[in-house]
Amino acid sequence: MQRSEQKAIQVTDLTVAYQDKPVLWDIDLDVPPGVLLSIVGPNGAGKTTLIKAILGLVRPAAGNVLIYDKPYEAQRRIVGYVPQRGSVDWDFPTNVLDVVMMGRYGALGWIRRPQKKERELAMQALEKVGMEAYTTRQISQLSGGQQQRVFLARALVQDATVYLMDEPFQGVDATTERAIVTLLQELRADGKTVVVVHHDLQTVTDYFDWVMLLNIRRIASGPVDEIFTSDNLRETYGGRVAFMKTDKGGV
Amino acid sequence: MIQNHLDILLIAIVTAAACALPGVFLVLRRMTLMSDAISHAILPGIVLAFFLTESLSSPLLILAAAGTGVLTVVFVELLERTKLVKEDAAIGLTFPALFSIGVILISRFAGNVHLDMDAVLLGELAYAPLNRLKAFGYDLGPVSLYVMGTILLLNLAFILLFYKELKLVTFDASLAAALGFTPTLIHYGLMTLVSVTTVGAFDAVGSILVVALIAGPPATAYLMTDKLSRMLVLSALIGSVNAIGGYWLASLFDVSIAGAIATMTLLIFVLVFLIVPNRGLIAIARRHARQKWEFAQTMLVIHLFNHEGLPEAETESAIADLHEHLSWDPGFTSQVVKYALNNRCVSRKETQLILTSHGRTIAQQALVQ
Repeated sequence: MQRSEQKAIQVTDLTVAYQDKPVLWDIDLDVPPGVLLSIVGPNGAGKTTLIKAILGLVRPAAGNVLIYDKPYEAQRRIVGYVPQRGSVDWDFPTNVLDVVMMGRYGALGWIRRPQKKERELAMQALEKVGMEAYTTRQISQLSGGQQQRVFLARALVQDATVYLMDEPFQGVDATTERAIVTLLQELRADGKTVVVVHHDLQTVTDYFDWVMLLNIRRIASGPVDEIFTSDNLRETYGGRVAFMKTDKGGV
Repeated sequence: MIQNHLDILLIAIVTAAACALPGVFLVLRRMTLMSDAISHAILPGIVLAFFLTESLSSPLLILAAAGTGVLTVVFVELLERTKLVKEDAAIGLTFPALFSIGVILISRFAGNVHLDMDAVLLGELAYAPLNRLKAFGYDLGPVSLYVMGTILLLNLAFILLFYKELKLVTFDASLAAALGFTPTLIHYGLMTLVSVTTVGAFDAVGSILVVALIAGPPATAYLMTDKLSRMLVLSALIGSVNAIGGYWLASLFDVSIAGAIATMTLLIFVLVFLIVPNRGLIAIARRHARQKWEFAQTMLVIHLFNHEGLPEAETESAIADLHEHLSWDPGFTSQVVKYALNNRCVSRKETQLILTSHGRTIAQQALVQ
C-alpha cells in the first residue's frame, strides 16, 4: 500500500490506566493526512480518553503520540479540539461570540487580549456554522444543536490542520447533524485531518472514510470499506450488534 | 470621632471589594466552600507568624498565613486524588484539622499572644482604625486600610492581567489545557490570591464572615448579568453597598459591624433574588401568571373560531353560557373574557362574544403550530 510517509497522527503503544485499571491497552494508530476518521466503540471503550491522551490532557502510563512527527506540545497551534458539549457549564456568564473567540486564545498566547481581528475571525466562523444571527446571545439560551455549532465555530477559528472532536453529534437535531457533516467533509476537502468520536454505527459508512474500532484495545483501523465489517464489529461490541447490515466492502 | 467612623467605613468598603473580585471566580467554579476552608485553615499560620512578628498586619504574617491557605487547597486535592474521599468530605476533614491546631496554639500560649477567639471568629472592625501608620511624625491613616488597599490592587492587577486566562480556565479547563494555558497554574494563582485576601480580611471581619464577603456579592451579581466583566464590576459595587449598609445597620442598632455587613449581604441578595428583571422570583411568578391568562385567552378565541359562521355559533358564543361549553369556573370565565376584551381579541355583540380580526389571527396562529 502506497501512502505518504508522514502521518497526521501517530499513536504508538499507548497505554492509559487509572491506578491499575487500564482504560486503553497498548494502542497503535496511524492517521494519514486528509482523512475523516471516526472512533467507534461501546461505552467505556476509552474513546474520549484516547482523544484526551492525544491532546496531552491525560498522562499515558506508556507509549507515545506524535502529530506530524512532533510531540503535541510542539504542535498545539495546528490542533483544534472540540470537547464534549456537556463538559462545560453553559450558565457561564458570556455570549456566543465570546466563546468562539476563545479558539483564538492559543494563538494570542498569555496576557494579550483579543482584538478586532479575532472578532472578525470569530464572525466568519459563526457564518460557516450558520450562527451569525446569534453573536450576542447568552450561551445558556442556546439549544443543544446551537451549542454544538458554537463549539465547532470555536474550533474553526483555531485554523488548525488536525481536528479532534468528542461526540459532536451528541444530542443534536437532524438539521444540525447534516450541517456538521457537510462542515467536516469541507474540512477534509481542504486537506485537514478530522478525528471524531462517534456513537451511531448506522451513519459511519455515510459520513466517514476511515474508522477505528476501539474497545480498550484497538480492534482495527483503516479505510471504512476494509475495516467496518460485521466480524470486526462483533469483536468490538462482543456480539451485541443486532442490526448489522451486509458488509459494504464485501464482493 | 467622625474620622474614626470614616476610617472604619473605608476599611469595610475596601475589604468588601477586595473579597468580591476573586469571589466571582470561586462562585463560577463552584468552589465557594474552599474559601470557607481557607479562611479557617489560615489560623495556625497566623498564630505561628504572630509569634515571630508580633504584629497582625506585617507582610510576613500575611504571606505565612496565606501559605497555610494554599496548603489547605493542596491537602484537599491530595485527599481527593486518592479517590477514597470526595471533595466535600476532603474539605470537611482538612480545615477543622488545621483550624484546631490554631485554636490549641492560642489557648496554650494565650498569655503571650494578643489574640482572642472572639476576634478570630468575628473580627473587630471597630478597633481596626486604632493601629495607625505613622511616618515622620505624621499620621497616615489606619494600617488595615493600607493592607487591604494593597490586596485590592493586587487582586485587580491579577484579574486585569489574566482576565482572558481566568475566563477560559473557568469556562473550559480542558480546552485551556489543550491550548497550553496551564490550568493548575491559574488555579493556584487564584487560590493564593484568595488566601492572601482572606488573611487580610480576617483582621477586619474574622474567619466566619469572610465567606459572606467572598460568596455573597458574586452570587448576587450572577443574578443580574450575563457578562463576566460586568459581573466583576457589579460584585465589587454590591460588596461596597453591603459594607456601607452594614455599617449603617451596625450604628443604628449598636451591634457588631461584621455581623451587620453579613446580614446586609443576605438582605441585598434576597432583594435582588426577588426583584431582578427576567430571572427574579417575582418576574418568574408574573410570567407564569401571564402565561396562564394568555393560554386561557387562546383557548377562548380558538373555541369562538371553531364555531364561527356555523349554525351553532349563536349558542356557543353566548357570554352567559361560555363557562358551560368550556367547563370552566364561571368566575374564571368572566375574568378570561375581560382579559380578552382588554386585549381586543374579542368584542361584545349584544349577548354574544365575537372575534375581532386580531383574535382571529391569534387563533389561526395557535392552530398552525
